Amino acid sequence: MASSRPKVYSALVTPAIAFLCLATVVPIAAVIALSFGDFNIAFPEKTRFIRLYNYARFLSDGRFINAALVTFILVVVPVVLQLLCGLALAIALKENLVGTRWMRASFLLPSIIPPAVGGIVWKLFLIPGVGGLSYLASLFGHNFEADLLGSKTSALISVIIVSIWFGVPIVALLLLSSLDSIPDEIYEAANLDGASWAQAQWHISIPLVLPAMGAVAVFQALEVLGIFPVIFVLTGGGPAGATEPLNFYAFLTAFTYLDLDYSAAILVAFTTTIVGVCFWSIRQISATRVGR
Amino acid sequence: MRRDLGRHIYGYLVSAAFALFLFSPILWTLSTSLKQPTEMFQWPPVIVGEPSAQHYTAIIADKDFSSALINSIVVSCSTIILTMALSIPAAFGISHLQKTAMRRLLTLVLALRAAPAMIYIIPYFLFFRQVHLVDTKIALIIVNTMFAVPLAIWYLSAFFDQVPREIEEAAMIDGASTLQTMTLISIPIAKYGILATAILIFIGSWNEFLFALTLTRDDAKTAAVAILNFMPFEGTDWGKAAAACVLMLVPIVVFVPFVKKYVAGPTTTGSVKG
Repeated sequence: MASSRPKVYSALVTPAIAFLCLATVVPIAAVIALSFGDFNIAFPEKTRFIRLYNYARFLSDGRFINAALVTFILVVVPVVLQLLCGLALAIALKENLVGTRWMRASFLLPSIIPPAVGGIVWKLFLIPGVGGLSYLASLFGHNFEADLLGSKTSALISVIIVSIWFGVPIVALLLLSSLDSIPDEIYEAANLDGASWAQAQWHISIPLVLPAMGAVAVFQALEVLGIFPVIFVLTGGGPAGATEPLNFYAFLTAFTYLDLDYSAAILVAFTTTIVGVCFWSIRQISATRVGR
Repeated sequence: MRRDLGRHIYGYLVSAAFALFLFSPILWTLSTSLKQPTEMFQWPPVIVGEPSAQHYTAIIADKDFSSALINSIVVSCSTIILTMALSIPAAFGISHLQKTAMRRLLTLVLALRAAPAMIYIIPYFLFFRQVHLVDTKIALIIVNTMFAVPLAIWYLSAFFDQVPREIEEAAMIDGASTLQTMTLISIPIAKYGILATAILIFIGSWNEFLFALTLTRDDAKTAAVAILNFMPFEGTDWGKAAAACVLMLVPIVVFVPFVKKYVAGPTTTGSVKG
């Protein structure tokens, strides 16, 4: 019955899909075209085709190479730690203990606040000597006044921690819904067989959420550099480029240095790599699942 | 399950550690927003001194920030309306197509959303500059809609899938057209799902930073960007920045309990219990 009106249904779908294609495919094609050109925003009519020249510039651009390295660090390290912390938190919240239920309702907050606000929140928290971290340290009798955003290594670590802060709640939520779907009978059976709670977690919970973790990792790898606003507010990419990933470098190249064609090349290379790796990983994950 | 000490130790310890990690920066901001300027530099730092609303009155009186807040509300609400106008029919249609066509379309929609937002910034900037829409709310609404439609289609089609087909078919047998069935039967049944989706679109648009930063100058600036005006380079103005953050968080905090079930999105839709 419902399938007797397929034409109407297709007509309903068409406007949204047409809008989406127009709003995504055309701009992406434009960026790719731009990356092969010599483009000056003041003289757009003088645009020339310069083949791979913009891409060749990568090789001699130390700042690009540094940004590529920072990108790799800021994707891999936070995603791995988000998964581990998220799993730890999800297992704790699954138990639904008295006194932790308020957390089940509110732990998601950091993942859905405006990233720019998150940046300011952390900036306030890390102010040397008078910020929240110094306050916490003073509660434990320590006098903590270091400027964490001032040196290269500690700034990078700070950005990683903030990135974990943003990602853990959503990862924990995804893993929690996966944990919650494990039937209680399995745990009861393990309990009857004499397994302790810890053994049940190790032998039941973790193996059963492992497949979900692969998908979550890919999802987070695509999302994790969305902390652009945080970097913008917190460190501005510094000190000395220590926290400047490729998307940040491309942003500055385009809108501070007005080198739009080179920025386009950076973005095309960046996007192709990250989307390519993620799609390849999804392939691998579903292949192993089918193989089982 | 039998009582187990390990379970309690682990549960409380880990919950407490994460409660501290996840909430202390936000609570610190709340505390800063209520502090007197002299309390900011006190050693050892204090969490609450004598609460003062002076920073809140200052930022509300600030014309730039209050107009940015209004811009944020206008842009977010318009994005909801435009996204819904496109996504509700599309999701309804997709949910009634045959399985293979449906899956193909949903995969396409999701794939279109996979590229990082940054890739769009240059072409959108050049385009809106060409058509003289830089620093207008319309530009932001279009961009936010572009990002919201794929997710909206995903959520809404899952909600339309849950509408009992028997009821829709009964309406059609009684002579209702497809459009009438959608507006009079399916949308009212799926209204809570639509509301949840609207909240998620609101949050996405409220939080959007990158395009609001590059496509606006003065007139159309949204609060997520205007908040940077309060960032002191040196000095004592942290109270205003903190108060602005707290105001930005109000709608998000209100919505957290409503969205928790849905925000996980396409990756788990269907596997969530209850």
